[in-house]
Amino acid sequence: MSKSRVNWPAVALIAPAVIILLAVGIYPLLFALDVSFRQYQLTKLYLGTDYVGFQNYVAVFNDALFWQSLGRTAQFFVLTVPAQIVFGVLIALFIDGMRWKALSFLMRVLLVIPIAITPTVVGLVGRLLFNRDFGFINYLLSLVGVPPVSWLGEPLPAMVTIALVDIWQWTPFVALVMISGLSLISQEVLESGKLDAGGGWNLFWHVQAPYLLPGLTAVLILRTADILKLFDMVFVLTRGGPGVSTELVSVYIQRVGFRIFDMGVASAQAILLLILCIVLARGYIRLFYREVEA
Amino acid sequence: MQTSRFHRIGAWVSLLLIFAVVLAACGPQAAPSAAPAQQPAAPAAAPAMEGEWTLAKAAEPYKGVSINCVFLDRPGYRAAIELLPEFEQITGIDVNWEIMPYENSREKQVLDFTGMTGNYDCILIDVVWIGEFAASGWVVPLERFYNDPALADPELNLAGFFPILLESFGTWDNVIYGLPFDNYSGVLFYNRCMLEEAGFDGPPQTWMELKDVYGPALTKDGKYAFALQSRRGETQSADSFMRMIWPFGGSLLDENFEPNLTSEGSLAGLRFRQDLMKYMPPDIVEWDHDETVQGLAQGNVAMITEWSAFNAYFTDPQTSRIVDCIDYAVEPAGPVGPRPALGGFSLGVSANSSPEKQAATWLFIQWITSEAKAKDYIRAGGVSGRMSAYEDPELQAQYPYFEPLVISWKEYGNPVFRPRFPEWPAISELIAQTGTEMMLGSISVEDGAKLLNDQIRQILDQAGYYSGQKPKLQ
Repeated sequence: MSKSRVNWPAVALIAPAVIILLAVGIYPLLFALDVSFRQYQLTKLYLGTDYVGFQNYVAVFNDALFWQSLGRTAQFFVLTVPAQIVFGVLIALFIDGMRWKALSFLMRVLLVIPIAITPTVVGLVGRLLFNRDFGFINYLLSLVGVPPVSWLGEPLPAMVTIALVDIWQWTPFVALVMISGLSLISQEVLESGKLDAGGGWNLFWHVQAPYLLPGLTAVLILRTADILKLFDMVFVLTRGGPGVSTELVSVYIQRVGFRIFDMGVASAQAILLLILCIVLARGYIRLFYREVEA
Repeated sequence: MQTSRFHRIGAWVSLLLIFAVVLAACGPQAAPSAAPAQQPAAPAAAPAMEGEWTLAKAAEPYKGVSINCVFLDRPGYRAAIELLPEFEQITGIDVNWEIMPYENSREKQVLDFTGMTGNYDCILIDVVWIGEFAASGWVVPLERFYNDPALADPELNLAGFFPILLESFGTWDNVIYGLPFDNYSGVLFYNRCMLEEAGFDGPPQTWMELKDVYGPALTKDGKYAFALQSRRGETQSADSFMRMIWPFGGSLLDENFEPNLTSEGSLAGLRFRQDLMKYMPPDIVEWDHDETVQGLAQGNVAMITEWSAFNAYFTDPQTSRIVDCIDYAVEPAGPVGPRPALGGFSLGVSANSSPEKQAATWLFIQWITSEAKAKDYIRAGGVSGRMSAYEDPELQAQYPYFEPLVISWKEYGNPVFRPRFPEWPAISELIAQTGTEMMLGSISVEDGAKLLNDQIRQILDQAGYYSGQKPKLQ
């Protein structure tokens, strides 16, 4: 009977990461969970912070504005993520097929730039680009005779604007993930695939696409989580307006948490989003994830 | 079988960890303890004053103390920053400031108060926050300083502030918590040259005249007669919504403290705003102060009703194309006369700061809002709350906006232009949303007013105003 021994060097190497994760990830999660069961209004602490059971969750379920904002978030997801996947795959195929490796490398570096820009700056730049009177987008449209579009002043164009900005910023991320998937395909597999399937769509669908599925699953999980917590860019660009037309769920939660300062309800909303995230992630894994042998 | 189950559990745990990190990024920040706000400690024993009171002598015990102020990116704060070195040189007190967007300033300060982190000593109090900050005990009553001979400048002269400013911006329930610092009244700024080109020899006297006469004549060739800043937020609720209901005889609450937005006067004002929109830029619901000020300063809009504090943008050739054309008037009258917007900020002392920092902060507030510095503050771009500064003929000639500003404060000042009770921020959020939707036409004026009335009543009821738990203070 062998005695299990603790691998202390391994523990020492892993410990800092685990401690940080506990401090910045698990503790706030548990705190939010606790607060979600309390009456916790920061500006009315004199009312106390007693446990109120599921009262905050009931309030969220009965809050039409919360569900409307969640619906808008779903619309935003449908507008952005499929476009990002299509454009990302096309860019990845283009770069992967490049003969000049130096140019391919340069393109990959360029793809990092939009991802590296902070969302607040993206929002500010977007506000300038999409300004009705002096924005660059309307200037380009005016060259082909299109009258000025009130991008940020009307509900539908405002939603389209934040979607376009998000597509611009995150398509490169999808492209980079897809490039990594394509790079797993060995030259032999690709050559025999060409012989069997020919080129073009058949080659992509039968040979390359299976290698992209793990990346696609990761993209879906990360983009879902990103979109559910997307705040900075939207707040700077439209502040959730005009009206509530771009008030995504994270903007709404911020309003409840940091304008009304009702931390109990805001925490309940955040916990419900967490549950939604986990359920969707499991669904993605079940639907799309396939192990591919390189 | 067991292995598969083990993997499934592992996958769930991994996902939970990933999303815990995600939630930490998007969820509310760890909130502070629920203990009540710390009571302000007694001030340091006042040294006996020998001879005449001077700032240098009063500040001697606080030499080397650093205080932190909350500032905005607006002319009045830049003016204060310009004057600060003089105060630091006289007193040896370091004054640091953090410039933040207006939208975040309440949030940051409330988190500082409730977390008792004491990051800010010199508190910026918007006219609509005074009730919340004072009733919560987050700011200190100033009487403890101005009744202390060691700290009170004999020239302090509280009666020298415009009464409406001290009353509205700094006082809650008859106790003074802040001294007026960045003082606004709504003023009609107009491009005289545009009006003259269109055949007008002066600005409109009434809102109806603005819409029916000036609107059609000035809205052409991509230029607009008027712009009413209406972006969602306090801009929509205060600068747009409230601005239009008062001159037409409306109000937020009636004399019985009941919501009053479905009254004839309030509805008339809101309907008028809808009609006036055809003479405004099409994306006006996205225009904040910046866009509105730039619209006038770049010559694209003929008239705006904006806070007096923005005057410096129009008179500086680096930011304005209409330096020689800018002119001023009292906001137009409605059927019940002019009811210009009232807004602004006082500076107060944080209850969480140490006694030394509190005293040092008071000395700074007293100095920057003093009659002695009022003219310097105005010349640097600020708008003082001191009456004496506006009587100076030299300054009157240099700043022609003084006249409508002083008339607005003295004759038409409306202390409840926006209620100052702690519930206003929540009400403001609702007005900002529904008010914008009204302008976009996604809800009718009547339905929107009724919806808001119901929501406001619910908020006030829950707060205890109708059960008698809370005094009906605005």
